Amino acid sequence: MLFRRIVLCALFVGVLAGLLVSAVQHWQVIPIIAAAEVFEGSAEGAEAAEPAATMAHDHDHGAAHVHDEAAWEPEDGTERHVWTLIANVLTAIGFSLVLIAAITTWEHLRGGRVASARSGLVWGAAAWLCVFAAPSLGLPPEIPGTAAAALDARQTWWLIAVLCSATGLSVLAFVPGRLRWLGIALLALPYALGAPHIDGAFAAYSDEVARQMEVLTGQFAIATAISSAIEWLALGSLAGWAVARWVRPALATLGTPATARA
Amino acid sequence: MQQQATLQIARPKSALLAIAMPVLTAVLLGAVIVYGVGFSHIAAAHNAAHDTRHSNVFPCH
Repeated sequence: MLFRRIVLCALFVGVLAGLLVSAVQHWQVIPIIAAAEVFEGSAEGAEAAEPAATMAHDHDHGAAHVHDEAAWEPEDGTERHVWTLIANVLTAIGFSLVLIAAITTWEHLRGGRVASARSGLVWGAAAWLCVFAAPSLGLPPEIPGTAAAALDARQTWWLIAVLCSATGLSVLAFVPGRLRWLGIALLALPYALGAPHIDGAFAAYSDEVARQMEVLTGQFAIATAISSAIEWLALGSLAGWAVARWVRPALATLGTPATARA
Repeated sequence: MQQQATLQIARPKSALLAIAMPVLTAVLLGAVIVYGVGFSHIAAAHNAAHDTRHSNVFPCH
């Protein structure tokens, strides 16, 4: 019962937030990716640039390589936009499942009517800090064509950054007494470990193109920060509202007396 | 009685057990979906979700 409610709410919240963020990205993030891919093509066209550009890629996993000619990829234009929309909605559903589960746990353990669209905004903002801001501090948003450290190392660090930030913020917010300051140490841990980096993100390009890629990277960081903030605030407020509207009645049937809610 | 005592303060620890399974399953399901879209090494999954991965700062390529 409770699980079904959480999943249905996550589907509803995820679809709405996914559609919203797709509209926002279509207007400000996608044009930057398209511009970067024009430059990315210019580096691949040059014989000399290819070794430098691919060296940084993760060749141990050839199947995952973006330049794998055999792999299916959507046609540019409508097909690609539709797949981006689908991926955005699926990602938002995944995020909603975790967020709604967290807000449900919070409401249940506090034993009161704390979930709401407004408190959900705080959850959304906290989630944006954990899932976007914290990993971005170590691995800044990258436009296509950026050379970077091995994929596995970056994915592992991303996961460490998100888990440490989420645990650290939770400890700061919910653990009573002096123990809560341990949360600060958890927040700092990913940066003490250090994110995987290589030098020369745009070494494969001519100086002029590299400069333009750097400008695009700056614009991309701002655009993605805004679009993901909009996504997480929408996810948070919708999730808070959905928990209050649909999950709260399911929690009430778990053996909590009706008087507890009066 | 026990239930009334929980009115003013947090519910007892067993309250966590009552929701642990559905909540943890939901978190796991969410993580699997985000992994599939954002982190899977399958080339087709990467290409389909390419712009989403870049926009969400999921490590890509």
